[in-house]
Amino acid sequence: MKPLALYLHVPFCARKCAYCDFASWPGREGEWWRYFDALVTEIRLWSENTDFGLLKARFRVRSAFIGGGTPTLVPAEWIAEALRMCRQIAPFDADAEITIEGNPGTLTPGKLRAYRRAGVNRLSLGAQSFDDDLLHTLGRIHTAAQTVEAVRMARDAGFSNINLDLMYGLPGQTMAQWLDTLNRAVALNVPHISAYSLILEPGTPLAARVASGEISVPDDEAVIAMQRVAVELLSKSDYGRYEISNYAKPKSESRHNLTYWYRGDYLGLGCAAHSMLDQSRFSNPDALDAYLAGERMTDVQRLKQWDIIEETVMLNTRATRGIDLAAWERQFARPFAPQDDKTLKRLAGAGYIEISDGRLYLTGRGLEVQNAVVLELLEIQEAMER
Amino acid sequence: MNYDQSRIRNFCIIAHIDHGKSTLADRILERTGVMKLRDMTDQVLDSMELERERGITIKSKAVRMPYTAKDGVEYELNLIDTPGHVDFTYEVSRALAACEGAILVVDASQGIEAQTLANVYMALEHDLEILPVINKIDLPSAQPEVVKGEIEDEIGIDCEGCPLVSAKQGVGIDDVLEAVVEKVPAPTDDADAPLQALIFDSYYDNYRGAISSVRLKAGRVKVGDRIRMMAGRCEFDVTEVGAYLPLGYSPKDELCAGEVGYIAASIKDIADIHVGDTITLANNPAKEPLPGYKPVLPMVYCGIYPADGADYETLRDALEKLRLNDAALSYEPETSVALGYGFRCGFLGLLHMEIIQQRLEREFDLDLVTTAPSVVYKVVKTDGTTLMIDNPTNLPPVQEIDWMEEPCVDAQVITPQEYVGAIMELCQDKRGTFKDMKYIEGGRVLLNYDLPLNEVIYDFFDQLKSRTRGYASFDYELKGYVRSDLVKLDMLLNGEQCDALSIIVHRDRAYPRGRSIAEKLKEAIPRQLFEIPIQAAIGGKVIARETVKALRKDVLAKCYGGDITRKKKLLEKQKEGKKRMRQVGSVAVPSEAFMAVLKMD
Repeated sequence: MKPLALYLHVPFCARKCAYCDFASWPGREGEWWRYFDALVTEIRLWSENTDFGLLKARFRVRSAFIGGGTPTLVPAEWIAEALRMCRQIAPFDADAEITIEGNPGTLTPGKLRAYRRAGVNRLSLGAQSFDDDLLHTLGRIHTAAQTVEAVRMARDAGFSNINLDLMYGLPGQTMAQWLDTLNRAVALNVPHISAYSLILEPGTPLAARVASGEISVPDDEAVIAMQRVAVELLSKSDYGRYEISNYAKPKSESRHNLTYWYRGDYLGLGCAAHSMLDQSRFSNPDALDAYLAGERMTDVQRLKQWDIIEETVMLNTRATRGIDLAAWERQFARPFAPQDDKTLKRLAGAGYIEISDGRLYLTGRGLEVQNAVVLELLEIQEAMER
Repeated sequence: MNYDQSRIRNFCIIAHIDHGKSTLADRILERTGVMKLRDMTDQVLDSMELERERGITIKSKAVRMPYTAKDGVEYELNLIDTPGHVDFTYEVSRALAACEGAILVVDASQGIEAQTLANVYMALEHDLEILPVINKIDLPSAQPEVVKGEIEDEIGIDCEGCPLVSAKQGVGIDDVLEAVVEKVPAPTDDADAPLQALIFDSYYDNYRGAISSVRLKAGRVKVGDRIRMMAGRCEFDVTEVGAYLPLGYSPKDELCAGEVGYIAASIKDIADIHVGDTITLANNPAKEPLPGYKPVLPMVYCGIYPADGADYETLRDALEKLRLNDAALSYEPETSVALGYGFRCGFLGLLHMEIIQQRLEREFDLDLVTTAPSVVYKVVKTDGTTLMIDNPTNLPPVQEIDWMEEPCVDAQVITPQEYVGAIMELCQDKRGTFKDMKYIEGGRVLLNYDLPLNEVIYDFFDQLKSRTRGYASFDYELKGYVRSDLVKLDMLLNGEQCDALSIIVHRDRAYPRGRSIAEKLKEAIPRQLFEIPIQAAIGGKVIARETVKALRKDVLAKCYGGDITRKKKLLEKQKEGKKRMRQVGSVAVPSEAFMAVLKMD
């Protein structure tokens, strides 16, 4: 039985954050129920679907992730119902990692207890910052105090596996503010912290304010410094960096996260959800109306050998474990690179990559320029394919 | 109409750019009825898309029009449209040699401009009768009387009764045609002498082969005749002769002295037809060719490379096709370490170069990388031999060079008085030698300078435009070669020389140019994983240095719920960008960088 990860998308939120450009809509409460109805129907159909063989005959679910949007906005019972239905798709492992993403401003002890009852065992909190002014700039609906309170409530409800999402490189953010946020996150002693550098997505209010010169974001140099400080500070508190933006105490890495980087099978359910099954990628429409109208599995792409090679390089190198060279050779029936490859030597010589214990992985410096390193590694692959 | 020289009028239209030459030509075609209104597109004679867009004529064209004048006689008018730019001066002079008269179009609000004068002088050299026509009288700013005065004072042509025209609105066209009939002399050529046909243009027709546009100065020619190119020294059998219609051919039994038309003779290569050459009959040749022939030599060279190496064949075919119609374009294969396989192309001037580049990109959908334009330098080696160098890469080692010479032009600038200082400064900057300054009508000044051609092709027009806010006009003519202290400036990327970036410059200019190119490259070359030193060097001596620092940050923070499409898109974009870059040693150089170095700030 192959491992499978499930992703459930809840495309609703209380308010659109200033930096957010993904499928999520504030308001539209009138459509919440219709959406969950459609979602549950989609889940039911997958439990009978045989496009990839009957999934329950081939897979067991190792992780599920309920993301958004703000999944904690909608009634907890609906989440529970959707999760219950998911068990029809394929059997869940007893220790399956089941995460729900939550906005600290939307949690109540009641909701948290309901999630626990539904089998949710991991909570990912969008803390983002412990500076209320920055939270305001980002358009977040919660305060730093609410984040602290949310963690306390979660623990009371029985959650021990908690993640805090943090963001750096924010408009006007100083190094001191970032250090304060990191320290306060560490003080909460949760097992997992994600630290994302802000991406200014075109079309978002935040990008417009930056473009107009009203506010400004720290330059690359400052952003790199913040990222380095995060690595250093978190490692002192026993958080190991296992992916570009993810840090965990020993054995607390997110299984679901690693599925994406190591190209495991995953099935995305709901509006804008992406899937990869048996080396085919497909997704549901981004637009809520299209999803409600019943459009599913648009953009099906059957990956070819070269696509798989490209994705493997691009995704595996995000993880600090990097590429397993023996696994590579088994999968593609050839080594990753020729003996004494000049490009690899140059990259290693300059401190961008390291090769040891049968793994090729990017160093801290290499991860800062991962895109460029990937291009170099792909040039090796292009030569190998010729 | 039977052949009767007294009813033939051969004329052209000369004007400064934008003074309305093509529009007037359109109205004349329309008025004489050879073009039906419904067939008219704006500016019929400018048939190339590029010509219409840029408002300039690139190739010469000739049209025959029947016109019944007020005296009741039907005349045969031959309008020869001439190219309107300094790069094509020689072609213009041949077209003028085919005429007896010239309509001088002057804008009623702009008055006389640099090209107006240059064209008038050229027309006078060919003894043409000049008919001034004041155009654009419909403009509110029109001052026809002032402009008339200008023409009389500056050129010394009587403007009494000269037609006042609005070509745009079709006003005064009849007056123009009547003036042509009355004032342009009929040809008085000897039809019984041995054939002398002046070639003033050539182009390629898919069915007829390469065709000569000709003016018969003596004799006759008909289908079946064996003709000889007197300078080209080759012979052909005539397959067709005739006159031109605006959009086609009107075959005739024969062409006679005084007439304008075409000769087709199944000529496969346009290079066999030289503009300015004389066609005669093989069995009864003229004693002498017509005067004024000179072989067309390219003045400006540059390397043209496909941005994508796979397009090399397409580029070669495209150049071959363009050359079919353009004997002045030359090209031969060359290889660059940095740019791969491409062509060294020769042009009449910068505009010609720009036109060819644009036609390649548009008509053949090619993405090109072009190297800095170079002029042809004369190198006298220590062993006494002389080399002509059109590509800096081919310059022999310094120790083998005795001295070098560079081409020099005679330049004329006409400008409102207030910019004289700015222009003198510019010409000074460009190593110009002041020759003469004359005050002309309307508070304007004509400046005469000797300028090295390599300074003219490097950013002179742009500078002139910006320093005079577009008010100055510029014209030049090749004068000859002068000895000059020239050096080869090389650019090194990460210690490796990039041949496509080498240029030949005057020693005094080498340092600022080297520094400026290094700065430009620093901006144009994106940061990469490794630091890139950029050096400008003369002989092995480094004179300027910049550094492209190593890439600082290039990573996507997150992927949303397993959606890796953004990452893939970014990767595709970056791969595409990288593919468009040239590998110079270990350094990836974007195509734009090769262009960026051509621009001064």
